[in-house]
Amino acid sequence: MNIITTKNLSKEYSSKSFSKEKILALNNFSFEVESGEIFGILGPNGAGKTTLIKILLGITHRTKGEVKIFDNEINTETYKFKVGYLPENHKFPNYLNGEQVMEFYGKMSGMNTAGVRKKTDELLKIVDMEKWRKTKIKKYSKGMLQRLGLAQAMINDPELIFLDEPTDGVDPIGRKEIRDILEDLKDRGKTIFLNSHLLSEVELICDRVAIMHKGSLVKSGRVDEITHISDNYIINCSDISEAIMNKLMMNFKATILSINEFHFKSDNIDELNRLIDFIRQNKILIRGIQREKNTLENMFINLIGSQN
Amino acid sequence: MIFLTLVLSTFREAVAKKIFLGFFAISTLIILIFLFLINVESVEGMVDMMGAAGDEGIRKLVIGFEVAMIDISYLLIITFCLISVSSFIPSMLEKGNIDLLLSKPISRTNIILAKFTGGVLLVFFSLVYLIGFVWIILSSKSGFWHFPFLYTILWLTLSFAIIYSLIIFIGLVSHSTILSILVSFFLVFIVCPVLYVREATIFSLVENNVVQFIINFFYYILPKPSDINKITTDIITGEEVNSYMPVFSSVLFMLAVLSASVFYFKKKDY
Ligand SMILES: Nc1ncnc2c1ncn2[C@@H]1O[C@H](COP(=O)(O)OP(=O)(O)OP(=O)(O)O)[C@@H](O)[C@H]1O
Ligand SMILES: [Mg+2]
Repeated sequence: MNIITTKNLSKEYSSKSFSKEKILALNNFSFEVESGEIFGILGPNGAGKTTLIKILLGITHRTKGEVKIFDNEINTETYKFKVGYLPENHKFPNYLNGEQVMEFYGKMSGMNTAGVRKKTDELLKIVDMEKWRKTKIKKYSKGMLQRLGLAQAMINDPELIFLDEPTDGVDPIGRKEIRDILEDLKDRGKTIFLNSHLLSEVELICDRVAIMHKGSLVKSGRVDEITHISDNYIINCSDISEAIMNKLMMNFKATILSINEFHFKSDNIDELNRLIDFIRQNKILIRGIQREKNTLENMFINLIGSQN
Repeated sequence: MIFLTLVLSTFREAVAKKIFLGFFAISTLIILIFLFLINVESVEGMVDMMGAAGDEGIRKLVIGFEVAMIDISYLLIITFCLISVSSFIPSMLEKGNIDLLLSKPISRTNIILAKFTGGVLLVFFSLVYLIGFVWIILSSKSGFWHFPFLYTILWLTLSFAIIYSLIIFIGLVSHSTILSILVSFFLVFIVCPVLYVREATIFSLVENNVVQFIINFFYYILPKPSDINKITTDIITGEEVNSYMPVFSSVLFMLAVLSASVFYFKKKDY
């Protein structure tokens, strides 16, 4: 089942007040998020990631297109009872302490006092902020605010959680903890929609990703599908004669790197083994074969680079 | 329930802004002055000077204090409460705060109405404290229980609500606390008082019909807190109120400005 569906979603901002000039922040953006998955949106700065989340939450109005969340149009507020949100650079009222922040946003999501108390105890423990609950948040560090923000996004036990840069300002251990929290939410059947610049992290937790650039969808799919499109191998061996080099280049489209090293690209195992047979038949000794996996980061940089 | 949470949060915000506490400090001071320093029995001399003795003199004296309290309370409300509420909207609109608020299951119309209600209730309770205590002290000291004075709470709350609606609108459009304060002070301390006495002052200097028409036009569309204070005074002193037009037109102004705020807020991207 799809939790989020958009069709030809577009958003134009006017670049300055009183100006006719427009910024196209989203351009015919169509995508789906399935129930129970962790979905990641990637894209360079200004790609329109935050804009997309804001439209889904009714914070910004779309210029055109369709949006459905929980299979309903988003023209009422009711779906927001089942939604959690961590905005990028969130700013809670700074005269509150951690506990009061949880209480305020919990009640704003329609919870009663008893429900909020119970959830607050549970969540502050999970994000490891228990000992700071009575401290005014203006004394919090960035990472602490981010942890509280995450707890806040989960206060109403939402079915769907939007996280805009959730690990921003969090140290590596904290990031690992946040990943565990997200995995746990997923195990409980929640759907998570995530924006992040940290590609290695997205790679670790997201089931599917969409890559966007200048408001358009460039690519989307399962993380393993996207990163495994082609495999590169670097083969290290004893010295290769000129004749063999030519054959490697002609027959296997290999790139010679040096007298005893060449690069071979194929997503077909049979072809790799034919290549090995070929060099072995020519009495060349293999020292090592190294498989280069395409990381999400490489993929992203190549893809965005080719778009510019 | 969600609406109420937002209303209550405005109280907490006001208390967190120290300026609002200034109102309570001064109110408490005034109450203490009434409690310990003013003794109706011992001001018999003053009563005599007012040209009436006995009960009638005490009534006049009490009413005199009450009328003075209107202006004092009005001034306190405008300076302390108005300044303290004028940051409500700009701070709500800060990036990272408004986003989260709008992601909650409450409509934009209700967000504005909750902020409005919160500010108005805040001032209402503040006035109940100040006027209420002064009334109890004056009444028990004089034995003259003058109920019309209590209406002052409602009239002053109304005056505040009218100006507050404008503060909300300016805050929404400009995101600026300072501008909200400046415009409302300009209106309350300069424009409105001048328009209130326009016939005695401006019109005696300028006889041009067009100019007079324009000035009248502004008088009729803008809020009229000075007139409302006059009406409040008339009610306390028992004089007949000439016309309630200033009240109706000011309330209309408030409704129009609030609708404009809601309309603007609904269309805006954050
Ligand atoms: N309120 C606004 N008014 C005008 N333009 C805006 C507004 N908000 C965003 N934009 C523009 O829309 C585009 C997309 O912005 P958005 O914040 O969605 O990017 P992003 O992908 O979240 O970037 P980042 O990775 O830096 O957070 C940018 O060009 C930005 O300048
Ligand atoms: Mg962003």
